[in-house]
Amino acid sequence: MDVLIQIIASGLTLGAMYAVATIGLSLVYGSLNMLNMAHGAILTLGGYICYAAIVHAGLNPALALLAAAFVCALVGLLIYFSAALPLLRAENFETNIFIATIGIGSVIENLMLKGFGPYPIPQPLAVEGQVVIGNVHIPLQNVFILGVAIVLMVAVAILLQRTSTGRAIRATSMNREAAQLMGVRVGRVYAQVLALSGALAAVSGVMISSIATLTPVMGADPMLKAFIVCVVAGLGNVYGAVIAAIALGLLEAATQYVLGVRWSFATLLLLVILVLIWRPYGLFGKQQVVRL
Amino acid sequence: MTSIRRDILIGLVCLALAAALPLAMPGRYVITQSTLFFIWAIVVVQWNLVLGIGGIFSLAQMALFATGAYATAMLGFYWKVPMLAAIPMAGVVSVAVGMLIGLACLRLRGPYVALLTLAIAQVMYVLIVNDTDCFTTTGGCMPLFGGVRGIGQFGDIGLRALFPSKWYIAHYYVGLALLAVAVTISIIVIRGPLGLAFRALRDNPGYAMSRGISRFKYQLWIFAVSAFFTGIAGGFYAVHFRVVGPTVFSFSTLLFLIAMIVIGGLGSIWGPLLGAAVLMLADEGMRELSDYRNIGLGLLLAVFVIAWPNGLNGWLQRSRAGRG
Repeated sequence: MDVLIQIIASGLTLGAMYAVATIGLSLVYGSLNMLNMAHGAILTLGGYICYAAIVHAGLNPALALLAAAFVCALVGLLIYFSAALPLLRAENFETNIFIATIGIGSVIENLMLKGFGPYPIPQPLAVEGQVVIGNVHIPLQNVFILGVAIVLMVAVAILLQRTSTGRAIRATSMNREAAQLMGVRVGRVYAQVLALSGALAAVSGVMISSIATLTPVMGADPMLKAFIVCVVAGLGNVYGAVIAAIALGLLEAATQYVLGVRWSFATLLLLVILVLIWRPYGLFGKQQVVRL
Repeated sequence: MTSIRRDILIGLVCLALAAALPLAMPGRYVITQSTLFFIWAIVVVQWNLVLGIGGIFSLAQMALFATGAYATAMLGFYWKVPMLAAIPMAGVVSVAVGMLIGLACLRLRGPYVALLTLAIAQVMYVLIVNDTDCFTTTGGCMPLFGGVRGIGQFGDIGLRALFPSKWYIAHYYVGLALLAVAVTISIIVIRGPLGLAFRALRDNPGYAMSRGISRFKYQLWIFAVSAFFTGIAGGFYAVHFRVVGPTVFSFSTLLFLIAMIVIGGLGSIWGPLLGAAVLMLADEGMRELSDYRNIGLGLLLAVFVIAWPNGLNGWLQRSRAGRG
């Protein structure tokens, strides 16, 4: 019983972190058909900005989190104006933006390596204390992460479902041309989505680094997992991504317990490969019928 | 001049120049760096077949390279297979792995393929690095795949014994010969039926399919062909450096190679070679600023994709078309 509580507790924390990291990726793919390979670097940048704001600028932790989100939203905008906008006018957007964001991600990552050094730094945004359920001690940090993630997911859901901005985003991801014809300013939607995705990445970067530590390459692993979640859910399906993220988090916690940390990632990936062979468009994705 | 004749001419001129290089610049550093260039050029030329001609967005090429390198090293280490036999066998192993990856990707579309292949490469890396159980204990604890430290002491192709002081020049010519074969194969594929099939599928998929051109069949073929030479390049890499470690999976190598293809020109015959040469030279130039190397590489990659998506090759062709 205690083991089960432990697995569920850490699985939910993992899943919540993955979900926040994934929503941004999924939104961007849904509306732009863009796989943002710089997402991991932006996520790490968020963690470092939060660290720098607390330790060097002496900001209040809540403000530091906002500052990180703001800076990363700006980075998202920068990617839109410098890479996505010019590439959208040319052919082969999906391939080119993928390669371009690999380059941009490498630049951001190595700038952080120059600025903050290669050594792990603890994230100062930490919550002390723990809750006890049965015989299991759960750090308040995990509860805090879960809380932040839920608040963010609800906020994104309200944004998508209840505001005109959200309606424009949904319309664009359903059918770009039709949305454009109905007077949606598609360019503005793209910019908003990339900024939002950057801000969400920053928050998830702060959360992930508060459990592990800050290193310039820490974003690679969550990004790969976020991609896996996206792929399993079907690229661009935001709500499916949340479900898949939490399911994968629980699964990862369970495999870590049963098979050991060493095999958990490999098992996850094996599962993903099987899912993709069984349903090439993801679990919740719709099959796209290509007419010749 | 027909395009095939032009390709043969360019190829022969490049081959002659490269063959004369050790006479002009016999320094060991230049020769070993050029050998490394040949190895990367083979990988890039073969990768270009999958990426540029087949239009399959696979990032598994470094995993296939690593498969070749590891297969060579393990055949030599565990079964004492002579290297001259082990390298072609490693090529076959790479083909098998490449076909498996190709089968897994067959039903997927562009970005899904990229993510799946990246994930496969990552699994291989994680499994090798995290493996700490001793498989043999002869000469210290050694995991099945060598773990973090990699595998060494698996033999040699014999050129070091044959030319004790000039072995690196001998390796240079082996690398050059392998590259020449790899480029020839790539020309045959691009100009031959395979390339024709892919061009037909790209230009008018409906008509091509109704004429019986099966995308699946040709995709598997192109995966197999490119995997073979990539695996052999991996085997030669293993023999040349005498050790194979998990660093072959590193993301910066992947970045370096994909930058070569993009900067040279995706899908063209000579573009990837040109890109490989330019980037190796640029890398030498940036050696002094080693900290900024990856920043420069990333910037180059992004700028080229955004400003010149057809790479140097496209730029050369445009300027020639402008003159003529």
